[in-house]
Amino acid sequence: MKKTFQTKVLPWVIPALVLLLWQVVSSLQIVSPSLFPPPTNVFLSFWGLISSFVLFEHIQISLMRAFTGLLIGGFIGLSLGILNGWSKLSYFTFDTSIQMIRNVPHLALLPLAIVWLGIGETSKIFLVALGVMFPIYINTLHGIRSVNQGYVEMGKMYGLKGWKLFRHVYLPGALPSIFVGFRYALGVMWLTLIVAETIATSDGLGYLAMNARQFMQTEVIIVTIIIYALFGKLADVIAQMGERRALRWNPTYRE
Amino acid sequence: MLKKPVAPEPRAEETVPVNIRLDRLQKSFGAKQVLTEVDLTIQPGQFVAIVGKSGSGKSTLLRLIAGLEKPTGGQISFNGQSSDESDANMTMMYQDSRLLPWKTVINNVGLGLSGDWHNRAESVLESVGLLSYKEEWPSTLSGGQQQRVALARALIRKPQLLMLDEPLSALDALTRIEMQNLIEELQQENGFTALLVTHDVREAVRLADRILLIENGTITLDVDNYAPRPRDLSSQGMVALEKKVLSKIMGT
Ligand SMILES: Nc1ncnc2c1ncn2[C@@H]1O[C@H](COP(=O)(O)OP(=O)(O)OP(=O)(O)O)[C@@H](O)[C@H]1O
Ligand SMILES: [Mg+2]
Repeated sequence: MKKTFQTKVLPWVIPALVLLLWQVVSSLQIVSPSLFPPPTNVFLSFWGLISSFVLFEHIQISLMRAFTGLLIGGFIGLSLGILNGWSKLSYFTFDTSIQMIRNVPHLALLPLAIVWLGIGETSKIFLVALGVMFPIYINTLHGIRSVNQGYVEMGKMYGLKGWKLFRHVYLPGALPSIFVGFRYALGVMWLTLIVAETIATSDGLGYLAMNARQFMQTEVIIVTIIIYALFGKLADVIAQMGERRALRWNPTYRE
Repeated sequence: MLKKPVAPEPRAEETVPVNIRLDRLQKSFGAKQVLTEVDLTIQPGQFVAIVGKSGSGKSTLLRLIAGLEKPTGGQISFNGQSSDESDANMTMMYQDSRLLPWKTVINNVGLGLSGDWHNRAESVLESVGLLSYKEEWPSTLSGGQQQRVALARALIRKPQLLMLDEPLSALDALTRIEMQNLIEELQQENGFTALLVTHDVREAVRLADRILLIENGTITLDVDNYAPRPRDLSSQGMVALEKKVLSKIMGT
């Protein structure tokens, strides 16, 4: 009973208080409600956006960008990480170059991406892919390289080599680290999308926010921020569930 | 079903223990000579204990025999065949169990096996007394239980040669005695050649048919131990043997 209070109720006390305070302060009308709308207005505007289906269109397009970018960047990062962790030759061929690109903040490439790829889907997906690639690459590489050599030797002794050695020893050994990279990459994914969509776009959540800014619809801006937060949290929760399931052999991931 | 003659796969026929011959075996790491000259013949089915101070090259010797390191000089042969051509079936047990933590107990036992190994895995788990743990994760087992699983993993392949690199040194005294009994029993039953590296001279005297001491890169003591099994460590012959080996190690 006490435990459920601690885990289920307690985390929500502060958000609830903040919401309450927000409602009270904004209803005092110290600042104009169009700049600082009360939560009730935000909720009404949220409802309006949902019932007119406008919101879904924008969410859909944003999610499509996010996941396409994640898929492409994640695949490249994972493959390069595995390849460079597996083969010294590949590591010395590619790693320095990858690290050099990594040191450029990928959002700094936004203007270049627009010039080269236009303001269509490609430039956004490109930036998301670029952003998520590095954390996944680094953590996969680290995971593969730090697999206990004792397991590797044992595996070889017991006749594992090539793909079997990878599948039974290297990959599961690296998985905790790969998940760390993946969850970090999810954060990068949203961040990149938010920035890319607010600057160069004609649809998506970021566009919705920027459009609302022009018409001083502060509550719509807040709605989009909340949606970003919700999706960010949702993605992380799903990733965490996957992590728990995949790593249930590891006492650290068992409750 | 297609059966390829891959080395670590267990054969259908009875396993024949292997005869090992080391001929002027040398190993150095860079300028550091670890084994200067090792000449040794081990009879099939013999239980050999290797003792020696830390850093004397005991693990290196096992790793050479296992083919995990290449010798810098000399020859290793199994049943008269050089080690490159031989498909002698050997397995190894380590001080840490090296069970893969992401595989259940039974899947650890069946690691790298193909075909239908589940029944065999169950019976070998039964022989180490852990059948009821077959679906557990290794991390939930005690150190002694983990070593039993490692032993099961080594035995399911019906090895001709089992190498044991201080497999019991991380266990408490009682568990260690239990494990010694188990290893002795299973070796007597299956008849494989056994090479046990240990720091514990009593353990060597207790288990081995033959005790080797490695010092300065070579074998400086080689004694047979014909005492009948099960052995009584407090008997005169056992005590004398233990003293003899110990005093040689200590240089007294
Ligand atoms: N891969 C290696 N590279 C360089 N030196 C090594 C390597 N493996 C072993 N050595 C050296 O060889 C010597 C013998 O090592 P080995 O592990 O065989 O000793 P050991 O008798 O098993 O010792 P212990 O009883 O502590 O396990 C040590 O001095 C060690 O530093
Ligand atoms: Mg050693």
